[in-house]
Amino acid sequence: MSEQENHGHHSDSIHLPAPTTWPVVLAFGLALIFLGIVTNPAISILGGVLTVFGTVGWFRDVLPHERHVDVEVEVMDLNIRSTRERVARMELDKPGRYAPTETYPIVSGIKGGIAGGFAMIIPAMIYGLIAQHSIWYPINLMGGAGIANWTDTSTANIAAFHWQGLIAASVIHAITCLLVGLLYGAMLPMLPRHPIVLGGILAPVLWTGLLHAVMNIVNPVFDQRIQWGWFLISQVTFGLVAGWVVAHQSRISANRNLPLAVRMGIESPGLMQHDHDEKSEDRH
Amino acid sequence: MADSALPAPGTIGGAIDVTPHHKAPGTFLETLHSWVVTVDHKKLGIMYVLYALVFLLVGGVEALCIRIQLGRPENHFLSPEVYNRFFTMHGTTMVFLMGMPMLVGFMNYLVPLMIGARDMAFPRLNAFSFWMTAFGGLMLYYSFIGGSGLYAAGNAPDVGWFAYAPLTARAFSPGHSTDYWTVSLLVSGVGTIGAAVNVIATVFCMRCKGMTMMRLPLFAWLSVVTSALILMAIPPLTAAQVMLMIDRYLGGHFFDTLAGGSALMWMHFFWIFGHPEVYILVMPAFAVANEVIPVFSRKPIFGYPAMVAASVGIAFVSLGVWAHHMFTVGMTSVGNAFFALSTMIVGIPTGIKIFNWLATMWGGKIRFATPMLYMTAFLFQFLMAGLTGIMLSVAPWNWQLHNSYFVVAHFHYVLVGAILFALMGGICYWYPKVTGRMLDEKLGKWGFWLLVIGFHMTFDFMHIPGLLGMPRQIYTYEAGRGWDTWNLIVSIGAFVQAAAVLLFAYNLLVSYFRGEVAGNDPWDAWTLEWATSSPPPEYNFVADPVVTSRRPLWDMKHPEDPDWKYE
Repeated sequence: MSEQENHGHHSDSIHLPAPTTWPVVLAFGLALIFLGIVTNPAISILGGVLTVFGTVGWFRDVLPHERHVDVEVEVMDLNIRSTRERVARMELDKPGRYAPTETYPIVSGIKGGIAGGFAMIIPAMIYGLIAQHSIWYPINLMGGAGIANWTDTSTANIAAFHWQGLIAASVIHAITCLLVGLLYGAMLPMLPRHPIVLGGILAPVLWTGLLHAVMNIVNPVFDQRIQWGWFLISQVTFGLVAGWVVAHQSRISANRNLPLAVRMGIESPGLMQHDHDEKSEDRH
Repeated sequence: MADSALPAPGTIGGAIDVTPHHKAPGTFLETLHSWVVTVDHKKLGIMYVLYALVFLLVGGVEALCIRIQLGRPENHFLSPEVYNRFFTMHGTTMVFLMGMPMLVGFMNYLVPLMIGARDMAFPRLNAFSFWMTAFGGLMLYYSFIGGSGLYAAGNAPDVGWFAYAPLTARAFSPGHSTDYWTVSLLVSGVGTIGAAVNVIATVFCMRCKGMTMMRLPLFAWLSVVTSALILMAIPPLTAAQVMLMIDRYLGGHFFDTLAGGSALMWMHFFWIFGHPEVYILVMPAFAVANEVIPVFSRKPIFGYPAMVAASVGIAFVSLGVWAHHMFTVGMTSVGNAFFALSTMIVGIPTGIKIFNWLATMWGGKIRFATPMLYMTAFLFQFLMAGLTGIMLSVAPWNWQLHNSYFVVAHFHYVLVGAILFALMGGICYWYPKVTGRMLDEKLGKWGFWLLVIGFHMTFDFMHIPGLLGMPRQIYTYEAGRGWDTWNLIVSIGAFVQAAAVLLFAYNLLVSYFRGEVAGNDPWDAWTLEWATSSPPPEYNFVADPVVTSRRPLWDMKHPEDPDWKYE
């Protein structure tokens, strides 16, 4: 702890804008103009007069020179000091305290997402062929979710080829797989030990369960057409392939000695390692 | 990054003074006159906050009357006409006459002090803005006695705070009650815009030496973001109100569907203002949290740049979500999908903020003084409000619950659970600076816990009648629909909240006269306002402060370990 003091008295004066009545007069005048609209025109006229007075008065306040008042100043001793004498530090570098020492890189999740995205097409196509005798059925089902006017359509229409459906489904599928892969990769540093169990089984089951629970609220028509067993199979396929791809990536150091803010690339006072010996510390 | 050298210690010390107030207090009239003609940002800030607190009490009384009316089925405590006026005036009051003035008051008082300036950039405009806001509010309440309405007697606006067309047309709203709503909000809107211009100019042009934008206190950053949102959001409302006046006075047909106008257009104009307005109100709550949480956690704010980016991100996204208030009007699927997704996206920067506040608290030596209690409740309640907001952003869910008490509970969770709690915490935090006295901690904690209990009794249970189908704004309801007990609990909770607010107001009054002397820096804080006396002198700082980090007072208190080494 320390203190800084400014010793010695001295007198001075400081220019400040002078108090003035004109802003309140102008505001009152303008308010009366509006009030007159709903009461009596005479009130608007009075407001207009006050507005003119207020405007002129205000101008005279600032032109040609702004009116000021001089405020007497007397500077006295000042102590700025902390009531806490001790600065405690948070230790962030205790091994294994917050995260494992090695993990998979986030990019491995994206690679897994791309691979899983291709893999899950296969059970989806098989479902289309078995259930509806058309590979376009699952594609249109997904594409239709993103196209405005595909409501109340027939099963035969969904099973037919539509290039809009193919484009829409491809875009939705690609973006979703990439985003899920990115999310997967972002979660891996937190749960890096069993990527296949996490990505291949746990996440698809949770995701399918969540969708099954809410789909009849979010999109009842879509809900009626989804075969949840097949849906789960395609999700698990995605997860298993994504998990396998991730598991075959080389691990990297988890940078556990660095604070989270540094690892995230976020500037944070007190957390940045600097030019003194005490690194990776936070201060209270 | 920081400068490589600190300014000379004497320079910093000279920037901060304790000027004794030698002048004897004047007579009541002299004092009153000095407040009316003042251009001092601190006095104007205090007037804004007091004005807001008065209207908090007025709007609160209206809310209590509404809750008495709904406390039991088939009740006739209020007449249907008065009930309509009360819910209209309650909403309008709390948004325009309580929330907005309160946040502008906070910005007015604190921003110049935090950036080391002597006043706002335009002191006279500042006074003008306050008086426009004040006269707008007075004009609105004058409608209770001056608005010749349906019965040619005084009556207040009764068209809801969003005043949907065609209810506002002359045919359905004869007399002048709706006109009072329009012109008074026009007048107060001028004041709000003036205040926003002033805050932006002050922050951009009047920062003290060394205070770069990345060293700006987050409160000041969020004040800029809020002011920018005000400049973008208020003009559409003003334009719509002018169009409404043209419809009502000059025979225009902007919102008259039978004559080729569009009632839907009013909704678009209103919500292009209305949704950013929610963020205009909640940003200052974030701003208060950004200052209070680090000080009471004894740690610097976590992720300062991310907090700035998230604030700007929220403001940006908030401009593109307005039609989520309009899912039930029958938009296209593309429109529904766009506004559902854009609404959900708000959750990302908001989540960043919540995580950063938690990360700030994590590992800190937290002191649960009254301001921090309010902030902790704010964090939890704002999270809950955000979650129900995400639920309502799903269009099919919204179709089921639109205009129900679930929506009312959701937005009161935001407006009371987040904003009011944070602003009350802010008042507790800066009260010693403004008055030189500490608030009574015991009374403060009693008030806090009463408010928590009352709030959760009211707004947790308000979700349930909403889910059971109770529409908002209904005058009364039949017994036996499953709403009775819930409404009774909600009404009791409202009275508990009222007791808490009264206790808070009592604490403000009593502590002003009998409170412990606060000193300059009672919380051991780090921003510049704590470096001057309490209350600060008219000129704030005798010499321009020089700062070298985001926590200038930390640097002064710990010269052996200053922040500028790390930033």
